[in-house]
Amino acid sequence: MSDEQFGFLYVKENCLQCHGCEVACKSWRNIELDVKWRHVKNIWIGTYPNVICQSVSVSCMHCVEPACVDACPQKAIRKHPEDGIVVVDRETCIGCKACGQACPFGVPQYGKDNKMQKCDMCESERNSDMVDPPCVMTCPTQALLLSKMDVARKRDAEKSVKALVDAA
Amino acid sequence: MLDRRSFLNSMGVSVCGTSLYGLPPFSAYTLNEAMAAAKGDGERAIPTFCGMCGPSSGCGIYAFVKNGRFIRVSGMKECPTNQGAICAKGQAAPQWVYSPARLKTPLKRIGAKGEGKFQEITWNEAIGIIAEKLKEQKKKFGPESLAMLSPARRSYSDYMQRFLIVHGSPNYGHSGICAMQRGFAFSYTLGGQPMCDYQGSDVLIIWGKQPFYSGPAQSGARNYIAAKKRGAKIIAIKPSIEPDSGMADIWVPLRPGTDAALALSMLNVIIKEDLIDASFVEKYCYGYDKLREHIQKYSPEWGEKVTGVPAKQIQEVARIYATAKGAGIDLGNGVEHAPSANDAIRAVAILMAVTGNLNRTGGGGNRLGGGMGPGGGAGSTKSVNLKERYTQEMVDKLVGPEFPKVFQPFLEGTSSAYYRILDSVLTEKPYPIRTVIAPGTQPTVSTRGTKRVIEALRKLDFYVVVDVTRTADMNYADIVLPTATVYESDHPFELMGGSIMARSRVIDPLGSYKSIFEFFLDLGVAMGYGEDFWHGSMTACMNDLLSPLNLTIDQVRENPLGKSLQASGGAPGGPGPGSGGGGRGNFESIFQAKSSRLDGAPYLPQGKVAIYNTTFEKEGYNPLPEWREPPESVTGTPDLAKKYPLTLSDYHTSKCYTASWQRNVPYLREVQPYPMLHIHPDAAAARGIKNDDWIVVESPHGWMKVRAELYPGIRPDTVMILHGWWQGCNELGLEDLPIGDGGANVNNLYSVDPDKAFDPLITAMSSQTLVEVRKA
Repeated sequence: MSDEQFGFLYVKENCLQCHGCEVACKSWRNIELDVKWRHVKNIWIGTYPNVICQSVSVSCMHCVEPACVDACPQKAIRKHPEDGIVVVDRETCIGCKACGQACPFGVPQYGKDNKMQKCDMCESERNSDMVDPPCVMTCPTQALLLSKMDVARKRDAEKSVKALVDAA
Repeated sequence: MLDRRSFLNSMGVSVCGTSLYGLPPFSAYTLNEAMAAAKGDGERAIPTFCGMCGPSSGCGIYAFVKNGRFIRVSGMKECPTNQGAICAKGQAAPQWVYSPARLKTPLKRIGAKGEGKFQEITWNEAIGIIAEKLKEQKKKFGPESLAMLSPARRSYSDYMQRFLIVHGSPNYGHSGICAMQRGFAFSYTLGGQPMCDYQGSDVLIIWGKQPFYSGPAQSGARNYIAAKKRGAKIIAIKPSIEPDSGMADIWVPLRPGTDAALALSMLNVIIKEDLIDASFVEKYCYGYDKLREHIQKYSPEWGEKVTGVPAKQIQEVARIYATAKGAGIDLGNGVEHAPSANDAIRAVAILMAVTGNLNRTGGGGNRLGGGMGPGGGAGSTKSVNLKERYTQEMVDKLVGPEFPKVFQPFLEGTSSAYYRILDSVLTEKPYPIRTVIAPGTQPTVSTRGTKRVIEALRKLDFYVVVDVTRTADMNYADIVLPTATVYESDHPFELMGGSIMARSRVIDPLGSYKSIFEFFLDLGVAMGYGEDFWHGSMTACMNDLLSPLNLTIDQVRENPLGKSLQASGGAPGGPGPGSGGGGRGNFESIFQAKSSRLDGAPYLPQGKVAIYNTTFEKEGYNPLPEWREPPESVTGTPDLAKKYPLTLSDYHTSKCYTASWQRNVPYLREVQPYPMLHIHPDAAAARGIKNDDWIVVESPHGWMKVRAELYPGIRPDTVMILHGWWQGCNELGLEDLPIGDGGANVNNLYSVDPDKAFDPLITAMSSQTLVEVRKA
């Protein structure tokens, strides 16, 4: 496994909660209704009148140690050794939802065919001119970034999003 | 592969780059990249403008088309407005275009009003029927019997006004709750409109404003984030928290509709503690001494009673504002929905003046300048609206003036209030409107008093609906005309950031219809007004409008990403007529600005800030700002509050919808599927209400059935809901909601009492009432 892996960085101070990333993902990947590969959520902190809110935009984190890979009885989920992207082989998936139980971010989605689907960092859609995925490109405030990073940094990114997801 | 990513990597993805907003550069597509991406997928990328919200300037986009079908959108990196970003609405545009809720064919009503029975007719037949009716009514009742409704400024507002002016009617029906209300009070107090300096201010007060949801891909939201990062202290004044106020340093949770009381209390503190800029007041303000006497009754303790904001917090905020190096106030649409709106806005203007924050140009604060009305913005194309043809006779014929006749025309032209136009049908005072044309607006969900509005639509002689999708009240229409979305049109052009860009057609229209602009041209020709409507040619229209720039539309089209106007000799955009000079802090000239009235009397007769307003006094209105209660409130009607203890108001912007449009778009509806009442968890618990419960919300005037969202960021004595709910979403199995009681239409719940629900000067219909909430 490479020391340098792709990962999403979420900068909560920049997020407007506009849901542009969420809808860009659905539109560009033509995702069926009731399924979301990326979610924007609101987080409340404090009590009235000392209350603030924050946001989180979460999709598959392509974790350094993905719990879904270990949980899958069919070995349908793989992590690419060269760039760390986690992908699911929908031919092999039997829809047992063990990955959904295992994922700490609540990422795996099961649509009409009951098989797992999730963000693949647009790897399957990429061509040679591909820049960032649509979720990153559309963000008005660069709250969402995609970058190659070392494993320690990627773990930090996972930790900070996990804290937000738990609070949401 | 991944060249751009490598670039990001090399930046270490820190969030303090060198771009305009202190953020790393956008990774969005440029033209060449969009073309390349499209080519790889067998698509075409067409540069044009988004059209999912608001007026111009739009956000630049690349629309991707495959096999003749519009399939997706990316932001246009080169466009100065959005710099490549696009919001959820923009991304969901193809679903809106192909929605089963689209109107495809012009319709003529054959059943009873409200029944929904129509016969399909052609575009030309529809235009012919409307023209015949208008000619007949013009002869019989005069041209003023025609009114057009326009809740907010739209890209086609000037075409509506042009038609009305040529026809001879002054009855352009503006909502009475949007932008012009601020424009009026500011112009008659400061001589122009103050703009908040996000870059230079060390304190920013975001007051009754939603800087994120309205145009998230444009500069307002980015300016806010940048100000926050640079360490400006942000104070949010709103009844509830949304993502913008959720980031503020101080939240001032006032009761809905009490902005005037809060501003008066802040003035009381500032004057009592002598935190004024004495030299600015001496040199540039008129009537300060009278204010000093007048303001004594508005103590912070009094302010606490009315606004619900603790007196200590009122004092704190007043002191921070008055003593900052440079403090700006960005006053939003939220203050324009209360019977005290004019006084709220005047009081805020006076706060800016007496503290001297108005004078801190460059170093923060507010600066005076360009107007919000037509004519603002870059370039100097010919104006569409023919304002120079207004006459006193037209002003005198206004059926329900938005501003008293003596102040007409205002920045946009002459206007009657949207609601008063409909009300005239019932009262027949001073005369009944005979034909209403509603282009892109839905009276039963857009204005208050739904039950009366339905009555009016039943009684109205002739009702024309012009829209993209089915509307809430089209069943009352005599003629329904579908129009093209902007993605199906190649006009008009857009002016933005010192350049001009043509709109490109993305796909051919999906039905037998034309654009909203062509509607006005075609109707103009059918009426015999062809001379004034370019004989029906949109190309001739655009070439005529472009003539001051020595450009033709074909020349503009040669630059698909926009043509810079500097080389064309176009003067920088002047402010709207009479809206004050463009200079920063050039008070000598701004304070002499001529008003938009026919006599051109200056906004400020003394050539100074009108703290004491002799113009208003002369017409019988309060010379000094005062507090006026909403029709129902805890302090104004305490007995009623025993039965209805919660204050209700509504939001006019949302994450994913433009007003009452676009609930039919599945990707947007998934984000906000249900009408949710924001209620504090304590208020909900006291009523046995849990999250997502269906609840009944009842006021003295009506009721709605919606769902509860337990919302920690709202005053416990206040509940709020998004307005505009009625439309279903076929793809998600969500049906239409009733327009009347029992639906989710908040407009049923408000008072429309002519003596209590309106600001006496600027209409500003009340969006406040008292309610009780229970489980359904």
